[in-house]
Amino acid sequence: MFHYLLKRLAFMGLTILAVSGLTFFLMNIIPGGTAELILKHTVLELEEIPTSEQIAEISSQYNLHDPLYIQFGRWLADALHGDLGSSYILKKPVTYLLLLRLPATIYLALASMTIAIALGVPLGVICAVKENKFTDYLLRIVTLVGVSMPGFWLALLLILLFSVTLKLVPVAGYGGIKYLILPAIALSMHTMAVTLRMVRTGMLEVMNQPYIAFATSKGLPPRYIIIKHALKNALLPTLTVLGLSLGYMLGGAVVIETIFAWPGVGSLLVDAITARDIPLVQGCVLTIVGIFVTINLFVDLIYTYVDPRIRYG
Amino acid sequence: MVKIMKSANYFGWHPGPFPQINWAPYHKILTNRTVTVCLMILGVMVMLSFLAPLITPYDPNAIDLKSSLQSPSVDHPLGTDHLGRDVLSRLLYGAKTSFLISLSVVVFALSLGIILGGAAGYFGGLADEILSRVIDIFLSFPGIIFALALIGALGSSVLNLIIALGLVHWASYARLMRGQVLSVKNNDYVSSARVIGASDRRILIKHILPNALAPVIVLATLDMGHVILSAAALSFLGLGIPPSVPEWGSMLNAGKEFMRTAPYLTIFPGLALTITVVLFSLLGDGFREILDPESEVMGLGAA
Amino acid sequence: MALLEVSHLDVGFNTQLGSVQAVNDVSFQIKKGETLGLIGESGSGKSVIGMSLLRLLPMNACVKGEAFFEGKDLLTMKEKDLQKIRGERISFIPQNPTASLNPLLKNGLQVSEVFERKGHSKENSWKSALKVMERLMIRDPGLSAKKYPHQLSGGMRQRLVAGIALSLQPELVIADEPTKGLDSLTRGKTIEFFKHLEGDEDRAMLLITHDLDLAYEICDRLAVLYAGEIVEMGPAGELMDLPSHPYTRGLIKSLPKNGLIPLEGRSPSLLELPGGCYFGERCCHHKKECSCKHPQLKNSGAWQTRCHLN
Ligand SMILES: Nc1ncnc2c1ncn2[C@@H]1O[C@H](COP(=O)(O)OP(=O)(O)OP(=O)(O)O)[C@@H](O)[C@H]1O
Ligand SMILES: [Mg+2]
Repeated sequence: MFHYLLKRLAFMGLTILAVSGLTFFLMNIIPGGTAELILKHTVLELEEIPTSEQIAEISSQYNLHDPLYIQFGRWLADALHGDLGSSYILKKPVTYLLLLRLPATIYLALASMTIAIALGVPLGVICAVKENKFTDYLLRIVTLVGVSMPGFWLALLLILLFSVTLKLVPVAGYGGIKYLILPAIALSMHTMAVTLRMVRTGMLEVMNQPYIAFATSKGLPPRYIIIKHALKNALLPTLTVLGLSLGYMLGGAVVIETIFAWPGVGSLLVDAITARDIPLVQGCVLTIVGIFVTINLFVDLIYTYVDPRIRYG
Repeated sequence: MVKIMKSANYFGWHPGPFPQINWAPYHKILTNRTVTVCLMILGVMVMLSFLAPLITPYDPNAIDLKSSLQSPSVDHPLGTDHLGRDVLSRLLYGAKTSFLISLSVVVFALSLGIILGGAAGYFGGLADEILSRVIDIFLSFPGIIFALALIGALGSSVLNLIIALGLVHWASYARLMRGQVLSVKNNDYVSSARVIGASDRRILIKHILPNALAPVIVLATLDMGHVILSAAALSFLGLGIPPSVPEWGSMLNAGKEFMRTAPYLTIFPGLALTITVVLFSLLGDGFREILDPESEVMGLGAA
Repeated sequence: MALLEVSHLDVGFNTQLGSVQAVNDVSFQIKKGETLGLIGESGSGKSVIGMSLLRLLPMNACVKGEAFFEGKDLLTMKEKDLQKIRGERISFIPQNPTASLNPLLKNGLQVSEVFERKGHSKENSWKSALKVMERLMIRDPGLSAKKYPHQLSGGMRQRLVAGIALSLQPELVIADEPTKGLDSLTRGKTIEFFKHLEGDEDRAMLLITHDLDLAYEICDRLAVLYAGEIVEMGPAGELMDLPSHPYTRGLIKSLPKNGLIPLEGRSPSLLELPGGCYFGERCCHHKKECSCKHPQLKNSGAWQTRCHLN
């Protein structure tokens, strides 16, 4: 177990390292580009073209003449100390900005996950129990649309209906539950649909297992069999998918946060990309990837806890 | 006669013991009703998008501020946008943009995946070890975030959008291709080709590729829906496709400002997008059901 | 009156290839305290019969006929009523103990839930579960109860499953190959166990088995199944000593102690059963009549045979 954990942690570190290295090199791929960008954000007026002296000055100030791998090494050393550089546009340390924005993203992601699980699991069970009946068909169509519909369109439709037309909730902003409802629903739809599908197929498969027939032969009530015997087994594969769809959710959060002016890491990332604020882009990407791999590590650990058959060497 | 046989052989046709690609499952695909219907509808959509100039009298980019934000009418069945452009025309032209971009992404990702995955599977050893690790890494973080970072780094343009999405999608094809090559490689006829003394390149091109390729290409076709969604999401954020080019995502982005007065600008492009992706999802479910009845069907991929 | 009276039981499965007729017109009775053995080669439909009685078959099964248990038809009664019969009055020992134990639940719980369902408290149920496990010669029941099924040996799982089925002392036990995979020593013990069980005056058993010696030893009557139908049924001892159906004779000849002479050929496809005698093609006494007319079960006293020759 310990061995396995160590291996997983090593791979996690490797992934994060690879992601940051890759983004770092790509961002600095255009020679002189970085210096120009910094100039644009600091001293230059709009439409003004930087002179070569200015570029040279900034380059030596920021050590941009060094080979890329040395720059990356320096960046990495700083990053390990919690210093991700400083944002060009906002002129504040990236770490500070991230810490400021992270709670909102976690709040939104947690709410969406909760909705997705709270709806997806029971509906998946209902689908399986009513296989090929009307309810099943209806929910399967809902699922198909839920999987295929772009989250940002759903968000717009929700705003159109609940904010613009019915005026029940505010169009955008950050605050209490009133502000949370629409973005959380929009973000949860896809994961909910995926969960529903997984639980449905899982349940159908499990219900045909001999241990369910044997449990039935013991005279146990159907409700008890579904909850105690079938659901746990059916949820095992769903767990892995949930971990993976968190990645989808974090990606979707970028768009949803932008639509709802939600002050999270996602909208920060979009702002950073639009302004080509390289340290900030990198910080955001690193944070999101970090969350994703960490959660998936936990999912794996939960898996070993739930399934007694798995004990990693 | 001898000459004909030779040239036939040259093009990879084997009269003898070499197995042909097993077409049976693909034949089943075409007899499956859902799949056929989806393919037909998608075919019609592609045709409409390419015949758009013949169907609609409007130039999708013709700005006519006098007739801006008109509700759907006989002249403009789906209304006009804030610059007075005909929404139906833009939708049809936008379909072409979406299809072409997704196709480029898939072709790019596919080439990368087939080459790298094929190499990993075929050569094995250290090359495989390194490539597999790279594939693992690419598959272990959310693709859309990576695409965003790439566009942030390279700047936003159509080409960069295609590169970014291609780099996001190649790894899953590479993994499948690697597995395919591994399983084909261990077949008898490949070993016998090697015994005969055929060169690496020859074995790879003539014996392994044709047999390993088919499932990978099917997977790529099925991925089109995901790619269309990702591309639309990125252009909705204003990254990639310039606002002048008609595209569903950017139409939604522009339309959302006028939600109060012109909700149809929000509804129609999204509807077109959803219908297209639903068709691809259905197609994918159908394919997977046929090719691998055991696998549970689920649609999951990068946004 | 018989405890269980099965008549004209038909079971078909809807599959992609077509309808599989797994059980054809099977009728038998089990009296109080009686043990009926069900023998026949693999795929002849023994397990399907056993499971259909408690309605444990998957959704694609189509069951016809009647199975009266104390005057009520098991096959048509309400699910709620059947639930009261399952486990408490009729119980089932499944063929595959490993797959029949839930991999994610502790062994103890899989026993104690049977008692809990009857309204016993959690602690009492657990205690009863330990008692059941102890009676089954599972070493250190307290420890085994806290383990998961995959941590037990195959034989222990087998006994655990049997123990669960017997824990509420049902009147009828449907046991599907309860001695499969046990070494001869444990098998002996299990036979002891079943004999003891049989000694209980009013407990009946439907014993499904490949083990003809076991069947000979503990069954009162035997039914021989071929391609989903009963081809011969009679008192166990006489049937084994003087089999009258060619298939039964072949089956007995294929026993190791009789020289291990295997039966030639294969049983017919259940998708498309032949028009005449199902065993016709493999029968060495084959007559013209056999391939055109399907033989009916003929009664002679307590003995029934389905063959044109007798
Ligand atoms: N769920 C099912 N769907 C389709 N066919 C089935 C199903 N279950 C059983 N069958 C078929 O029913 C026939 C009888 O199966 P059954 O399990 O009763 O055989 P058996 O006599 O118990 O054999 P064994 O001695 O190997 O256990 C088999 O041919 C099998 O293919
Ligand atoms: Mg059986």
